[in-house]
Amino acid sequence: MVVFVVKGLIFDIKRFEVHDGPGIRTTVFLKGCPLRCFWCQNPEGLKLKQEIMFYPERCISCGACMATCPRGAHEIRNNIHVYFRDKCENCGRCAESCYSGALQFVGKWMNVDDLIKVVLMDKPFYNASNGGVTLSGGDPVMQYEFSYAFLERCKSEGLHTAIETAAYCRWEVLEKLLSVTDLIMMDIKHIDSEVHYKATGVRNDIILENAKKLAETDKPLIIRIPIVPTVNDSPEAIAAIAKFIQSFKNLMFLELLPFHRLGEVKYRALGIEYPARNLKTPTKAKMQELIEAAKKFVTNVFSA
Amino acid sequence: MESNLIIYEDPSTFLERLNKLNEELTFSERLEILREIKMKHTHEKQKVIGIMDQDDHGRLLPPPELREIVEYMGPSGEPVRDVKLNNFKPISNHPSGGFFGPKICGENFRLFLSSHPVYINPFSSILGGYMAYFMSYRDPHWNPDLSPPQHLVEAWSKYDIYPGVGAVQHFCQDMQIGFSLGWGGLLRKIRYYREINPQAAEFYDGLESVVIGVQEWIARHVKAARELAEKERNPTLRRNLKDLADINERLINEPPRTFWEACQWTAWYQMIARMYNGSGSMGRIDVWLKPFYERDVAAGILTDEEAIFHLACLFLNDTQYYQLGGPDASGKDVTNKLSYLVLEAVHRLKAPANIGIFVWEGLDPRLLDRGIEIMLEDKMGFPKFLGGDALIEGFMRNGYSVELARERAYSGCHWFAIPGKEYALQDCVKINFAKVFEVAFWEMMSDPNVNPSVEELWSRFETHLRKAIDIVREGLDFHMENMHKVFPELVLDLLCYGPIEKGLDASHGGVEYYNLCLDGAGIGTVADSFAAIELRVEKEKRISWRELAEELKNNFRNEYIRLMLRNIPHYGQGGTHADEWAVKIAKTFVRLVKEKPTPKGYNIIPGLFSWASMLSMGQRVGATPNGRRAGAPISQGANPEPGFGGTPTSLAIAVAAIQCGYGNTAPLQLDIDPTVFRGKNGKEIVKALILGHFKLGGTMINMNVIDKEKILEAHKDPSKYPDLIVRVTGFSAYFASLSKDLRQFVVDRILAEES
Ligand code: SF4
Ligand code: SF4
Repeated sequence: MVVFVVKGLIFDIKRFEVHDGPGIRTTVFLKGCPLRCFWCQNPEGLKLKQEIMFYPERCISCGACMATCPRGAHEIRNNIHVYFRDKCENCGRCAESCYSGALQFVGKWMNVDDLIKVVLMDKPFYNASNGGVTLSGGDPVMQYEFSYAFLERCKSEGLHTAIETAAYCRWEVLEKLLSVTDLIMMDIKHIDSEVHYKATGVRNDIILENAKKLAETDKPLIIRIPIVPTVNDSPEAIAAIAKFIQSFKNLMFLELLPFHRLGEVKYRALGIEYPARNLKTPTKAKMQELIEAAKKFVTNVFSA
Repeated sequence: MESNLIIYEDPSTFLERLNKLNEELTFSERLEILREIKMKHTHEKQKVIGIMDQDDHGRLLPPPELREIVEYMGPSGEPVRDVKLNNFKPISNHPSGGFFGPKICGENFRLFLSSHPVYINPFSSILGGYMAYFMSYRDPHWNPDLSPPQHLVEAWSKYDIYPGVGAVQHFCQDMQIGFSLGWGGLLRKIRYYREINPQAAEFYDGLESVVIGVQEWIARHVKAARELAEKERNPTLRRNLKDLADINERLINEPPRTFWEACQWTAWYQMIARMYNGSGSMGRIDVWLKPFYERDVAAGILTDEEAIFHLACLFLNDTQYYQLGGPDASGKDVTNKLSYLVLEAVHRLKAPANIGIFVWEGLDPRLLDRGIEIMLEDKMGFPKFLGGDALIEGFMRNGYSVELARERAYSGCHWFAIPGKEYALQDCVKINFAKVFEVAFWEMMSDPNVNPSVEELWSRFETHLRKAIDIVREGLDFHMENMHKVFPELVLDLLCYGPIEKGLDASHGGVEYYNLCLDGAGIGTVADSFAAIELRVEKEKRISWRELAEELKNNFRNEYIRLMLRNIPHYGQGGTHADEWAVKIAKTFVRLVKEKPTPKGYNIIPGLFSWASMLSMGQRVGATPNGRRAGAPISQGANPEPGFGGTPTSLAIAVAAIQCGYGNTAPLQLDIDPTVFRGKNGKEIVKALILGHFKLGGTMINMNVIDKEKILEAHKDPSKYPDLIVRVTGFSAYFASLSKDLRQFVVDRILAEES
């Protein structure tokens, strides 16, 4: 018998995560996302492939990466380390020899058995806090076969499961994931498809369609809106989303998440220009105004 | 040379501010003022003494004209800077200039008390305050005629052993003995047994001097309080002073009858215990104060507000160690109304306190909930949490009954003792694992007949650890043989079962049970060191043994190699090789300790703890293979190295896995940024951490819920937050009072756990 082992490309596993769902959780971040929101705070999760991140400020100029790179992508000139990303073929060897943390290889292929081992470590803390596992990304729908296999395994281990998704996928994919998921945290960025397209690179028709279908299930649902200046930081934009979800019976609450610039260093480390460099974090007053706007349609509205 | 000095906290400015010169004060107004007065004293202490790398304690500074600044070795083996009273000079009975033996120690202590000023704070319902430590006058500390064998002295320094020789207190009396006898009854008891044991005349002389000294000291307070009551215009304060005079006049001889009296009696006892030799162990307050509370409430003479106020005054008087909740001998949880009032009193005080909740299967869950709520709200590292089930089960492994194990009460930094029955030297005896490792490493490297290997290193580490433990055994016997001739436990003896009856000091067979403590320190440093060598030298062969030795000798000239060694999966992350090493070290340590008792037959209980000594211990260890530079702190207690890269959960699992299992602790030190708990379920998360750790076998949690920003700012300018309280190791203290090194350590720990 041939056993087909699905592997997932994972860029982070965070234990003791207390903001992604109830209780103490372990959040698994899968690489790959169908959207390209220009404010994305996890740019290293966008592409479904392994990548090198380089933090020059941590480099101690030891030269180990130069010695290991088969492509000559690292050079140290006058004590300044230059990394030629275009020469790099993402083999990861240099990062392995770099102990300062300057070079990091993001993305690790793992199978369900390896991953569940890590997740089960904190099992003693899940039950007492009603916690469990959250699958995030990127977006777990990108590697949905692995996502399903992993969540199924979590359920068989008796863990509470949650997913974070923008629901930009075929309904069948979502439906399948739902069968092994206890809580859905879904992002909606804008109700206007055109604006949505400009901001994220995709139209929102599928997303809104899926949201409606999700609302017909009995799975607890949390809707989240990242509040991004120039995109959706107006009471009208927020009210429109709130209105759209007001009749969702399984909606637990609506959460507004203010944009912040914490992702900026990671863009630099990936050698990408930071597209959101002109944006500022919304003020408390602004967030309050938006909460009020949403409250006209939805009772439970929170902000992080 | 009796001191006529009376220190009176002048109430006028406070009363004027409240505009209540002639009006009644409420308990909460009084408490607010008491807090302010406490802060005033703390500021003054920070100014005059400066660094206090230990509990804040409730001590007050003597008035400027009586101050003399000194430095000496503190009870936990670390140097202490202190202020002495300059109007007391002990009498010497030895050419060295020191004084040794029970009689002279008692007499000197009585003299000391007679030189000690009277302190009266009219807002407080407790009379008295202490201003100096008798220990500061003991010079030399040890009788030079009784010097320990040379081979011990050499080995102590070779392995960086804190041998506990000459260590004092660190066990717990039973307050109920004092409550039933009073000072007068104790005196009668001493005189009665003096007749039966004439051979112990000197010991009884010493005990008698202590009791008489206390009685005289109280009497001076009574006189002063009466005089001040006459002059005081404010009705509340006048009545309070008069009541205090009346109560204490009785308490000179009689046992306490009411809750208030019992608190006052406790305060006198805790003050002399603290002054005599630093003792801060009190045990189960919600057990021994309960009858008084219930009786007074039933009689309608005590409200909960008043009870809280007396408790708060007691806790202001000193920061002693108390336990709340836990089973009685029959296995029923003792949590009662008073347990909650104790929590409430500290909550209102917002001052350092050392109170632990005994979390066990039978605990009233509401007490734990309330404790967590207060910890999250006040962010003062209060209360701490004790892993009851593992402690009881562990202690029984020494061959004790479950009843006795349940009696063992939380009474100090990281430790427990059976009140009145057990002598333990808790927190006084330590081995620096990192030093033992260092000895083993260099011995192997300089042996031309072996090829270095992890296996060889481990076997040498084990050999030296066994030697070090043997040295500790011998040293403990030496202590037990001689301590009573040097500086007996004259205060704790009073409230123990046996010493007075048998005419024997507690350090000399006076009590029933002897379970001497031995703690290992630096397990994180050593576990990471083994794992780093295993990975980088043996498995990956990135550097050779010789290169490693060169780098260690030169304190890492090559930063690349240092980072390579540092960057391994650490102890504390969970499931790493270093985690396995830590378990192996702990298991081996326990096995070696439990192989045999001391030659004289004393049982030893292993634990993992460093107190605040990870700084000084680190200073004595060169660079280690985990990338730690020479002189840097070793890992704290049972915790991993700072920057271990794990989470609170991984830490809780790792520390649970290295418990020693015989009833002493390996505490989990957890610093958590409160932003983690923003949102509704903070309490549930903390509770899950606590219960999860204890379920896995954990024995104690010191949790700091702290504001990272605030700590960082306070680190830059300590004067900015003089009242910021942190839990350092087993104790909590004002951040601003800590030495720069210890502040840095706390900050590093917090930042490391953050990232
Ligand atoms: S290996 Fe790391 S630290 Fe060394 S030169 Fe390369 S990037 Fe810098
Ligand atoms: S990932 Fe591979 S190719 Fe790219 S720089 Fe590193 S060693 Fe060179």
